[in-house]
Amino acid sequence: MSKKELWRRMRKSNFFIIGAVLVIGIIIIALLSPWIAPHDPVKLDLANRLKAPDGLLKGWKGNILGTDPLGQDILSRLMVGSRVSLKISFLVVISTAIIGTALGIISGYFGGLIDTIIMRTSDIQVSIPPIVLAIAVMAVLGNSTTNLILVLIFTRWVQYARIVRSNVMMIRNMEYIHASVVLGSSKLRIMFTQILPNVLTQLIIVMSQEFGRTILTESSLSFLGLGVPAPAPSWGVMIADGREYLATASWVIIAPGVALMIAVLAFNFLGDGVRDVLDPKNKN
Amino acid sequence: MFRFILKRLSYTIFVLLGVSILTFLLLQLTPGSPARLMLSDGATEAQVKEKEIEMGLDKPIVVQYAKYISGVFQGDLGYSLFYNMPNSTLIFQRLPATGYLTIVALIIALIIAIPLGIIAGVKRGSGIDFTAMVFALLGQSISGVVLGLVFILVFAVKLGWLPAMGYGGLSFVIMPATALAMQMAALITRMLRSGMVDVLQEDYIIATYAKGISRQSIITKYALRNAILPVITVIGLQVGTFLGGAVVTEQIFGWPGIGTLTVQAIGLRDFSLVQSILLVISACFVLVNLLVDIIYTVVDPRMDFN
Repeated sequence: MSKKELWRRMRKSNFFIIGAVLVIGIIIIALLSPWIAPHDPVKLDLANRLKAPDGLLKGWKGNILGTDPLGQDILSRLMVGSRVSLKISFLVVISTAIIGTALGIISGYFGGLIDTIIMRTSDIQVSIPPIVLAIAVMAVLGNSTTNLILVLIFTRWVQYARIVRSNVMMIRNMEYIHASVVLGSSKLRIMFTQILPNVLTQLIIVMSQEFGRTILTESSLSFLGLGVPAPAPSWGVMIADGREYLATASWVIIAPGVALMIAVLAFNFLGDGVRDVLDPKNKN
Repeated sequence: MFRFILKRLSYTIFVLLGVSILTFLLLQLTPGSPARLMLSDGATEAQVKEKEIEMGLDKPIVVQYAKYISGVFQGDLGYSLFYNMPNSTLIFQRLPATGYLTIVALIIALIIAIPLGIIAGVKRGSGIDFTAMVFALLGQSISGVVLGLVFILVFAVKLGWLPAMGYGGLSFVIMPATALAMQMAALITRMLRSGMVDVLQEDYIIATYAKGISRQSIITKYALRNAILPVITVIGLQVGTFLGGAVVTEQIFGWPGIGTLTVQAIGLRDFSLVQSILLVISACFVLVNLLVDIIYTVVDPRMDFN
């Protein structure tokens, strides 16, 4: 596909445009949050605990979205918290894609025993519900952001490996691959210069759809106290902290809940848009 | 077909054994000795050693696994010191509540998704189609945790229509089940819609129109039967996500199922119970998928048994 054609399709896809604008907006807020957040997100101010949202009445220095049970400014925590969610989802999606792709290429290209081992392992892996596995592993290992990232990588490599493998097996016997073999290319070279570019489109589509899911899983685990440890302002932790105050100070939960929804929606829009742009036939 | 089922069954046994190895290894990750966890804080090194020998922890790992798996085959999933009960009793006491919640949730998901997906697919570009797509996108993007809490806020706290927490009949199950159902409903709506759109463009559907068969019977007898097949597979595969979601949802609504038990077990650092729960949940998931595959052979006559 030429660059021009790609550009044309991007502009034509509403999903892509809305998703891209929102995602870029979220990334900018996350990157700038230490400087633009109105208050210190971890500064305790017990005199001001559970203050109702001021809205825009008091300007930027008021508590626009109110304060939490420790008197911390919710808007500031949301902004800084977006860094946590984004960091985790980017690290997880990119690492799983790399690991899954490598395993998929190896499995599909070599076949035989290696293929059997990798694919049977993946069968076992997908038989354990990912969130339950993540809960169990986090419980045993103890909660830290590093452990959380490792667990999420561990539970999500399979789909990449499977998609890549089936593509590789299809491509492996095509004439141009045979031609490369005849020309004396090494296996490694063939895998990376001939096969990888062919599965890249599919990979990007899957990756773009994984961001939202990863953010949701992370927030669920953090909600259960098995994800990002306090006092880091993670959205899941914020929701968990506000639970007791659901009836009296619902803003404590609604603010991070809405933020979570907007972020996931943005990535899902982008994911659908990327699929429309790269693979217009598949409208699933 | 009989051979296919036999083959599928042996595969299931292989997977379950693999899962048991993985859950067994999970406990090996525990920092410190499991023996120390069982003793009081003041236990000496010698006491820990003695307990380890008593528990068989000094044996090679393969021997330990052999002991574990032969126990599992006899229904022995370990013993919980905290509850003073066998793990299997604890788990099977809680399993019906989780089953109840997930089945009601599945029914809610199907009640929402099947009509919405079909109508959206048939009346492509209509208002209902647009609504269905918005629903599908929102449903996939909202966190079950947030949805559950919002339900409690609106229907229990503000309106007072439903009890906020607890276990019981329809009024208790409706909120947690709907919160749990939303993602699955969104996914099925989406799949069914695109499946209907694709099938309705097939030549054989156009041929049935030419034969003068009524539109309604074309949709229900010919198109739906084809469009619903991938949905059945997805439901099977999503049961895993569903069970995972149930763990979180139960925690929000104080539902006395496996999920609440898991969180309690984690709080008590009763890792052998966590391990057994993981094994049982995975086994449920694997068996549901075995069932789905068998149903498939009945529903889809084109099924290739090789």
